[in-house]
Amino acid sequence: MRYPKRRGRLPVPGRKIHLATAAMLLVATTTAACGDGQDDGAKASAPKAPATIPELTKDPLTLSFIWFEWPPAQALETFANAEYKKERPNATIKVNTVPNANWHDAMFTQFAARKTDFDIAILDSQHIGEAVTNGNILDLTDFVKTNIDVNAYNPYLLAAYGQFPQAETGQRDENASLYGLPLLGDTWTMIYRKDLIGDKPPQTWDEMISVAEKCQADHPGVSGLAFHQANGSDAAAVTYNTVNGVYGGNLWNAKERKIEGVLNDAAGQEAMNVLVTKMKPLTAKGSGNWFIDEVNAAVAQGKACIAFNWIAASGGLLDPKQSTLGTTREQILDKLGFATLPSQKTNLVPLGGMGMHVSAYSAAANQAEALNFMKWFERADIQKKWAAAGGVPSRTDALESPEFLNAGPFNQVYTDSVPRMRDMWNVPEYARLVDIENTNVNAALNGAKRPKEALDDIARDQQNVLDSSGRKGGGGL
Amino acid sequence: MSSPVHLSTGRPGQEAPATPPAPGRTSRLSDRGLAVAFISPALLLLLAMSVFPLLWALYLSFTDYSATRGDAPQFVWFGNYTAILTSAQVHLRALTTLIYVVGAVGLQTLLGFTIAYLISRRTRGRGLLTTLFLVPMMLSPVVVGLFWRFMLDAQFGVINSMLGSLGLGQVEWLTRQRTALISLIVVDTWQWTPFIMLIALAGLTAVPKYLYEAASIDRASEWFRFRTITLPLVWPLLLIAVLFRAIEAFRLFDLVYILTSGGPGVSTETLSFHVYKVAFLGFNTGTASAYGILMVLVVIVLTQLYLRYLSKLKED
Repeated sequence: MRYPKRRGRLPVPGRKIHLATAAMLLVATTTAACGDGQDDGAKASAPKAPATIPELTKDPLTLSFIWFEWPPAQALETFANAEYKKERPNATIKVNTVPNANWHDAMFTQFAARKTDFDIAILDSQHIGEAVTNGNILDLTDFVKTNIDVNAYNPYLLAAYGQFPQAETGQRDENASLYGLPLLGDTWTMIYRKDLIGDKPPQTWDEMISVAEKCQADHPGVSGLAFHQANGSDAAAVTYNTVNGVYGGNLWNAKERKIEGVLNDAAGQEAMNVLVTKMKPLTAKGSGNWFIDEVNAAVAQGKACIAFNWIAASGGLLDPKQSTLGTTREQILDKLGFATLPSQKTNLVPLGGMGMHVSAYSAAANQAEALNFMKWFERADIQKKWAAAGGVPSRTDALESPEFLNAGPFNQVYTDSVPRMRDMWNVPEYARLVDIENTNVNAALNGAKRPKEALDDIARDQQNVLDSSGRKGGGGL
Repeated sequence: MSSPVHLSTGRPGQEAPATPPAPGRTSRLSDRGLAVAFISPALLLLLAMSVFPLLWALYLSFTDYSATRGDAPQFVWFGNYTAILTSAQVHLRALTTLIYVVGAVGLQTLLGFTIAYLISRRTRGRGLLTTLFLVPMMLSPVVVGLFWRFMLDAQFGVINSMLGSLGLGQVEWLTRQRTALISLIVVDTWQWTPFIMLIALAGLTAVPKYLYEAASIDRASEWFRFRTITLPLVWPLLLIAVLFRAIEAFRLFDLVYILTSGGPGVSTETLSFHVYKVAFLGFNTGTASAYGILMVLVVIVLTQLYLRYLSKLKED
C-alpha cells in the first residue's frame, strides 16, 4: 500500500480543522490560566480576622514570615523557634528573606497572585495602605480589641505599624481599623566617634555639620559624614525626609492630599540645600550609592566621624570581627557613641521598623496560628525576652525595661526617640511616591540635578501620582 | 523476524518508496496521528507559556488593569499607548537605551571582530584562547554585575586602587552621570564581546583558503585581502551577531539593577528597567503591558530591517 505523500499546504478543510483546534487550545489555556475570574472581578477589601483565636491544629505546622535579609530576620527566627516552641511544640517558625530592594516586589507579586507562601508579611509601615486597599491582609481590629492591651503602647507606634488610614504624627485614631501589630521598632541613631569629636554629641543639626567639617579637616582620610544616599529602597528619601523634618518642613498636607507647594516650600528648600550643599561635601567620594551596609562599613573601618543609620542594623558595629576600631566590644565602645538625632527647628526623627500582618491568602490553620503567635509575641514577658534577644520591642514597659536598655548602647536612643517620630505617606501609591523621591534626591546628591530642580520635580511628580488615580490610561508613568 | 529497514538513497526530487507500517503498530494511529501526539505536549506548553501570555498582555495593554487591585479590567483602548508614546519620561529612557545599545554593541563588534581576526591567524593554541575568551559569557549577569560593582567602588574598588597607584585620581564610576552609563557599557562589553568574537571566528574560519591563495599569487596586500575577501564574506554572519546583541542590549535589565539601580537619578534607567518599575512599583499592569508590547514591536521592526538587509546582501 502506498501512503499519500503530503506536499505544500494542507487542503482547506484540513487547515480549518487545524485553526479551530489551535483556537480551542488557546481558549482552554486562557480559561485555565484565568481561573474562574472571581478574584479579578471582586472588589477588594481587607477580610476580617476573628475576634477570638480559632482552635489551633495539633499537627506539625510551619508558620512562615517574609522579610528582607538583615540581622533582625535571623534573630527573629532563632528567638521564635526557641521561645514559641515552648508553648506550641508542633509549630516551626520560618523567616524567609529576600534582598531589601526586592522586599516590596516579593510580597506584592504574591499578593497579586492571590496566593502566598508566607503566613505573616512583615510590611513596612508605608506598605499598609497598598495591602489594605487591595484586600491582601486581614483586618485585625476585632482581634486586637479582644486580645491586645492597646494601652501598653505609645499610641503612635500602634498606629504606625497597623492603622489605616494613616495616623497623624503622634496620634492614633481610636475609631480607625488596625491591620497589623508591631514587630520591630526602629529609628535613626547618630553614630559618632568619641575619640575624634569628643564624648558630647552635637545637639543641633548646624552644630553637627560644623563638628563634622572640623573633624574631616583634622583627620585626613576620614570623612565628616556618612548617610544613606542610594536610589534603591527608601534610602535617599528617608535621608531627605529626616532633614526636611528637622528644618521644619512637611512632606504633604494629608487632608487635602497636597504635595506641591508643601514639600517644596521655603523650609523644604532649605532642607534640600543643607543636604546637598552642606552635608554632601562632607561625605566620602563615591558614596552616592551608599545604604545601610556601606554606612556601617565606613563606621567599622574608621572612615567616618559621624554617621546615621537604623538602630536595628547597628548591632554589627560592636562586633570586633567586623571592626577595625578595637579588638573587643569595650574598645569599640570607647570610640563609638550613639545618640538621638540633633534637632534644629524641630526634633523630629524618622520612624522605621515594621509590623506583622496576616496574609489573607494563607490557610485557615496557618492564619489561626499567626494570630496566636501575634498574641504571644505582644505579651509583656515575651516583649522583654525579644528585647534581650536583640530585638526592638514596642510596648512601653519593654522599652523602659532593663532587659532592653542594657541590651545595646543604642537602645536608650530608641526609647528617647519614640515621642519624636514621623512617618512617610501611608497610602496605596507609596511605592511610586518613594521612588520619585529616591531618584530625585539621589540625582541631587550626585550632581545630576540642582537641589531646587530636584525638589520641584519631586513635588510635581508626586502630586501627579496622587492626582492621577482616576486617569484613563498611562497610569504609572 | 523483523522486516528489513529500507533506507532511501535517492536524490531529492525522486519519489521515495512507501514505507510499510512497523509490525505491531495499531492501525488507528496513523503517521499523522503519531506526529500530532508527539507535537502536542510541546505545542500546549508553547501555547501556555508563550502565546497565551503574549495575547493576554496584548489584551491587558488596552485596559487599566492592576494586578494587585483585583478590580476587573476596564478598557481604555489606546490610552496606555498614547500616554507611553507622548511621555517625556519614556523619551528619556529611550534615549538612554539608544546610547547604551549603540555604545555597547559598537564596542563589542569592534573588539569581538578584532580578537576573532587575531585568533584566526594563529595556528597553535587557537582552541585554548577561544575557550578562555568565552569564560565571561558563561557567567550569570547578576554575578558579573556584583563583582564589577565591587571592582568599580570608588572607595574600596580595585580599579580606583590601580588608578591611584598610577598617580591618577579617584573616579566615581557608578555615581556620576557621565561615568555611570560608560561603566554599564564597559561591563556589558566585557561580558558579551566573546559572543561577537565566536560568531566572527566561525565566519573567518569558513572563508575558503583558495581565495587567499589566489590573492597571494596576485600579490594582494593584507589590507586589500581583508577588504575584498574577509570582510564581505564575514559581514552577513557578523550582522546576525550584531542583531542578537542589539536585541539583548535593548532589553538590558540585570546589569542596571545590580550596578546602578538606574542612577544617579534616572540617568542609567533603560526602557526595560522603567517597565519593571511601572509593572511592580505601582502595579500598573495595563500600562506595563502596553510598554512591553511596544518594545516587542520595536524589536520586530528592527529585526525585519536587518533580515531584509541580509537578504539583499545574499542577492548581491
